[in-house]
Amino acid sequence: MGISSDVIRGYNDTMILYLLQNAPSYGYEISKQIRQLSDEKYVIKETTLYSAFNRMEKNGYIESFAGENPENGKKRTYYRITEAGRVYYQEKCEEWNLTKEVVEKFIAEEFAVGAN
Amino acid sequence: METIKNYLETMFMNLPNTPEVYKAKQELLQMMEDKYQELKKEGKTENEAIGIVISEFGNLDEIAKDLGIENSVQQSVPEGQRFSLEEVKEYIADMSRAATGIALGVFLLITSFVGSIIFEGLTSVGADKDIMEMVGTLCMFVMWAAGIGLIIYTNIRSSKWDKINHENYVTDFTTTDYIQKQWEVYKQNYATTKTLGVALCILSVVPAIISDAFNNEIVSDYMGGAGLFILVGIGVFLLITGSKRKNIYMRLLSLNDPKSVGGKYTVDQKKYNQPKNPVVRALLSVYWPTIVCIYLIYSFLTFNWHISWVIFVIAGVIKMFLDNLEGEE
Repeated sequence: MGISSDVIRGYNDTMILYLLQNAPSYGYEISKQIRQLSDEKYVIKETTLYSAFNRMEKNGYIESFAGENPENGKKRTYYRITEAGRVYYQEKCEEWNLTKEVVEKFIAEEFAVGAN
Repeated sequence: METIKNYLETMFMNLPNTPEVYKAKQELLQMMEDKYQELKKEGKTENEAIGIVISEFGNLDEIAKDLGIENSVQQSVPEGQRFSLEEVKEYIADMSRAATGIALGVFLLITSFVGSIIFEGLTSVGADKDIMEMVGTLCMFVMWAAGIGLIIYTNIRSSKWDKINHENYVTDFTTTDYIQKQWEVYKQNYATTKTLGVALCILSVVPAIISDAFNNEIVSDYMGGAGLFILVGIGVFLLITGSKRKNIYMRLLSLNDPKSVGGKYTVDQKKYNQPKNPVVRALLSVYWPTIVCIYLIYSFLTFNWHISWVIFVIAGVIKMFLDNLEGEE
């Protein structure tokens, strides 16, 4: 069964901010890391990713800057997390913990992870 | 890679040309390019890589809200404004014919003097001077009429396609892709045609040089001249058909251009080979005028016209060298 894009949509920001925590990165790199970290279970679409970048930049959670692709010297947009972004990330993590706690109470035992 | 660009361009075809849209297009292209390169590196074939990139692109509706273009995404180009694949094929066929027509017309004009030269030449072997002159002149006028007539006729025939210059036409993904592929096919041909055309123009002096060596008066005095016009005529014919046919594809590919649609994203990917040093740039901008001046001054002073044209050949080689030198930086 695939992942529901409706549910995961609220957490695209969380994933991106997590990946930006330690170093700036760029579009394809982030989408690749999301795919790898999720064991290929979640492949983020280009438009979804761009939409998230665009929205978070407007909200001041990330900043973009022009860099260069070291392989061919072409221009490439890099993103870095801001202080506001770190605060927002922490909030999102707390929100998820709460969400998970609540939703989990309604997952019947026989369907829970590890039940089969 | 062209396919991906075309795909993206088609997706953005109906969007307004705002800075936000332009930026989104650039960003998406970057991501798709990176993904494509990586897939290729992993050993995927061209088609597989393109398939994956396109299938994982997503949906423009998603970014429409962010860009404030929700309304435009829903709008579609009126059907009549779309240049269909059939129309494109017809356009290419018609315009190719027109290219040949124009080139043939010019060929006739250039070679119109050949008749006079040959008939004049015949007088030296005893033909009647007056008659030969008359036939030669007649021959010239007939060729002029045929050449000019052909050019006018061709222009009128192809004027039915003028609409693509006056109205806003766009092509969709498959059509753009088709044009691109056709252009790739023709490109090789174009290179050969152009090279051959230039070579013939340069070699046009060869008959004169060879015929000079003969003692026969007709050959040495007249055949050289006739040969020159014929070679130049064929050379120019090739150059015109080549560049006109190339323009067909360029025109079609430029239909989805910045003025009409979401901006051509290829603009800033292009590298302009402009020298960085302003002095060099200034000097290069007057390069050819200077060469022409040198050529004229030298030739008039020494009257070595028979050899002074070599300046252009040398100058051409030097220019190529300079361009490459600058381009590598």
